[in-house]
Amino acid sequence: MTEVTLSNVIKRYGVHQAVHGIDLDIEDGEFVVLVGPSGCGKSTTLRMIAGLEDISGGEVSIGGRVVNDLPPRERNISMVFQNYALYPHMSVRENLGFSLHIAKRPAAEIKKAVDEAAAILGLQELMDRKPAALSGGQRQRVAMGRAIVRHPDVFLFDEPLSNLDAKLRTQMRVEIKKLHQKVGNTIIYVTHDQVEAMTLADRIVLMRDGHIIQVGTPLELFNTPVNTFVATFIGSPPMNLLDGVVTENGNVRLGDGQELPVPTAARAGVHVGQQVRYGFRADNLSPVGHGVAEDGDIAEIDLRIDLSEPLGTETLLFAVLAGTEIQGKMLNPRPVTPGERMTCRLALEKAHIFDAETTNVIRSS
Amino acid sequence: MDRNKTHRNRRRVLKGLHFFGLFLVMSIICIPGLWIILNSFRPTVEIMAKPPVWRPSFTLEHYRAMFGGAGQGGVPVFSYLWNSIVISVTSTLIAVLIGMSGGYAFARYRFKGKSGYFVGLMLFRAVPGVALSLPLFIVFAKVGIIDTHFGLILVYVAMNVPFTIWLTDGFFRQIPKELHEAAEIDGCTRWQAFWKVEFPVARSGVASAAIFAFLTSWNEFALASQLTRSVDSKTMPVGLLDFTAEFTINWGGMCALAVLMILPALILTFIVQKHLIAGLTFGGVKG
Amino acid sequence: MRRRLPEWFVLLLPAFVVVAAVVLIPLLFSLYSSFTPYKLTRPSTLWTWIGERNYERILTDWKFWAAFGRTVLFLTIALNLELLFGLGIALMVNKVTRGQRTLRTVLMFPMMFSPILVGFQFKFIFNDNVGLVNNVLQSLGSDAALPWLVDGNLAMFSILFAEIWMSTSVFAILILAGLFAMPRDPLEAAKVDGCTPWQSFRHITLPFLMPFIYIAMTIRSLDVARAYDIVQIMTGGGPARRTELLWTLMSRTGYVDAKMGLANAMGYVSILLSIAFTIFFFRKLSAARAELGMGG
Repeated sequence: MTEVTLSNVIKRYGVHQAVHGIDLDIEDGEFVVLVGPSGCGKSTTLRMIAGLEDISGGEVSIGGRVVNDLPPRERNISMVFQNYALYPHMSVRENLGFSLHIAKRPAAEIKKAVDEAAAILGLQELMDRKPAALSGGQRQRVAMGRAIVRHPDVFLFDEPLSNLDAKLRTQMRVEIKKLHQKVGNTIIYVTHDQVEAMTLADRIVLMRDGHIIQVGTPLELFNTPVNTFVATFIGSPPMNLLDGVVTENGNVRLGDGQELPVPTAARAGVHVGQQVRYGFRADNLSPVGHGVAEDGDIAEIDLRIDLSEPLGTETLLFAVLAGTEIQGKMLNPRPVTPGERMTCRLALEKAHIFDAETTNVIRSS
Repeated sequence: MDRNKTHRNRRRVLKGLHFFGLFLVMSIICIPGLWIILNSFRPTVEIMAKPPVWRPSFTLEHYRAMFGGAGQGGVPVFSYLWNSIVISVTSTLIAVLIGMSGGYAFARYRFKGKSGYFVGLMLFRAVPGVALSLPLFIVFAKVGIIDTHFGLILVYVAMNVPFTIWLTDGFFRQIPKELHEAAEIDGCTRWQAFWKVEFPVARSGVASAAIFAFLTSWNEFALASQLTRSVDSKTMPVGLLDFTAEFTINWGGMCALAVLMILPALILTFIVQKHLIAGLTFGGVKG
Repeated sequence: MRRRLPEWFVLLLPAFVVVAAVVLIPLLFSLYSSFTPYKLTRPSTLWTWIGERNYERILTDWKFWAAFGRTVLFLTIALNLELLFGLGIALMVNKVTRGQRTLRTVLMFPMMFSPILVGFQFKFIFNDNVGLVNNVLQSLGSDAALPWLVDGNLAMFSILFAEIWMSTSVFAILILAGLFAMPRDPLEAAKVDGCTPWQSFRHITLPFLMPFIYIAMTIRSLDVARAYDIVQIMTGGGPARRTELLWTLMSRTGYVDAKMGLANAMGYVSILLSIAFTIFFFRKLSAARAELGMGG
């Protein structure tokens, strides 16, 4: 069983602290994605788990064994690097078998393991090429093959797809997910791309400035963000946020005097006069008859559409509400002329209220 | 129309000038060396002839005399050649090992005063050989390693280490750090990771650094001329002077020895010429 | 647990040790002896302290100043011409479309020559009696044999020629490497924007080449003193000291006149000169690099 546990892990570079006491339990076989903007400490955390960075404080254990001072080779992990880090002087076959060769395994066993990995990733045709003769996607696959050959306890991925073009990225994303389903190992995956995080993860760990902001399944992060940072980082387009003040009649008064009702879920948590940010996703704001059709709490807003982006099954609408640019979505779209006025419906049970000062979500239950 | 014509004419003139310039430059570069080679095959009488003889005849006289050994009043070329080979090869090997380890330190580690150390080492390389030969002569005489292979090897190692560091630093910097990390994760110790991954990748760069070191040792004169005394340790550049020691200069013999000296250098350089240029510019530009 | 030495230090240690043993310690010794009247023939003189009298002596000696001035002048002329020729050659070779590799290989030719060999080669070619140059001149009908290595000015010219022949290729090769590495777009943009060839060279090519030029200068400055080998074999500083450089003067003082203390004092002046050149170019190099954002 190889669960990975981080308790109060700290990384310091001189006086600068890059990771501030992280606690995280990763279960055996779980696919965990560390995501966050650049400089948030996600890569540093991964490299501490790998043993490529010293751990300044706290404890990292893999499979119940504390590994703080073990060199990488004794942690039984494997890692896929952003630039693949294939050995340029070795053929694909030698690259795949290098770790077993170093471990002085018998040649027959190495060959078997290498062939197996090659079969899983479809590398059989490329075995005698050098990395320089491979395309980006092929290199990526060799890097993954090198990782699975030695049957490690944990796979570490450090932004493995960021050097691929958009189409290949989507394709490799699927392959990584398939690989996980096939081998079932624990995977820790670092990326700055929230789409990758959403599509791949069993659980997402969202980080910022060396702190963990929220841990949860992709849907938890999407539907119940703990603060405005999560709300704008996860999901595309980012959540609309409008500044306002809570009034006596249970509404939020926006900058231009317009009022929107406080969503039911937040009603018990706010007090009159509180400065808040009113948040809702584009998916939950649609012109009448083009999306939000649910019963329940609905607010109607009159909008002047400045710009529209037809995407086929839906059209993104851009408008300005109370001085802030917001986006909505039109399902079953029809052509929209710029400047057109539309009555839009906002699904209130999907809206969120954040405290303006702490940026934390206000939720009564 | 007219403007097109003038432009076309001007281009033609420029093309002619370009060709002529290149031809001139290449001639100036090649002729001296070719002249030496040519004269190493000409009989002495013809070299000295007045008025000059332009149609060369061919003889192996000088080579025969050179390899004929010291017995016939010739220069002990074999001893010089042997000394040169032993001293250059040994000092190159040691300098590359030491320089590589230093270059690796500069390329891979962060530490205080790094650029200071670097420039400091380079400055030692800048000390003129003549200026260094004065105190070295005294010190070596005291220690008793004057006129030995060991003494000269030691000097050449020290001379070559700084520049080898410069070159290998540049080459190791070209190798992404992730390669080393990947090797460590694949189960290597740092030592294994270096020899199995980084060294093979930087091999061509190390080879070019080695060629530079070899050429320096092979060609060095200022120090060798003072620190060697006899057949035991004189190298070929010093041996070249043997031909001028007498009243008449044996031009043909000197040419033959010169050809012998330049031959290994030529061959080695052609083998690694591509890496030589890359080594110089990597080390300097991207450093 | 005992604190271990940092790895970088262990890796650099052999380099420091060998450089210290072979360069630093002798230099300290020579620094000391430059304050003594040390003569090789009388070892006891090593223990007589005479303060800065050696320095006083050389600083008031016109022969020393003549050699010093000549050395600086020689280096200035040589380095500038080498740069200029190197730039010219690189630009010409860069324009060639066919046979470029061959030309580049030929360019490397002089780099492999031992300085002493270069000296000998040109001593032969400029020989007034059997040299190639005079032979050609005579065959072309000139009756006087020019005394290339006997006349002071002609000797200086011959030495400069040899020095430039030997070192220009370093510049040419490195500048050529710079031209290869140069991105095409800015040049094409300049052409479209209406720059003349000279303007685009002056404002686009040259600034890009600067770091490469400084690398060449730095590498060259590490070894300025190798002109000693050439001079030593071509003229030995003669005729009548007309080609005497700092280095030949020093070696004569030390080895022929056996005045080691005095020679070491001169040695120090020459070391400072070399170091000044090197530091100057190192500075320029890192400045040029920073300016072009090539990383430092």
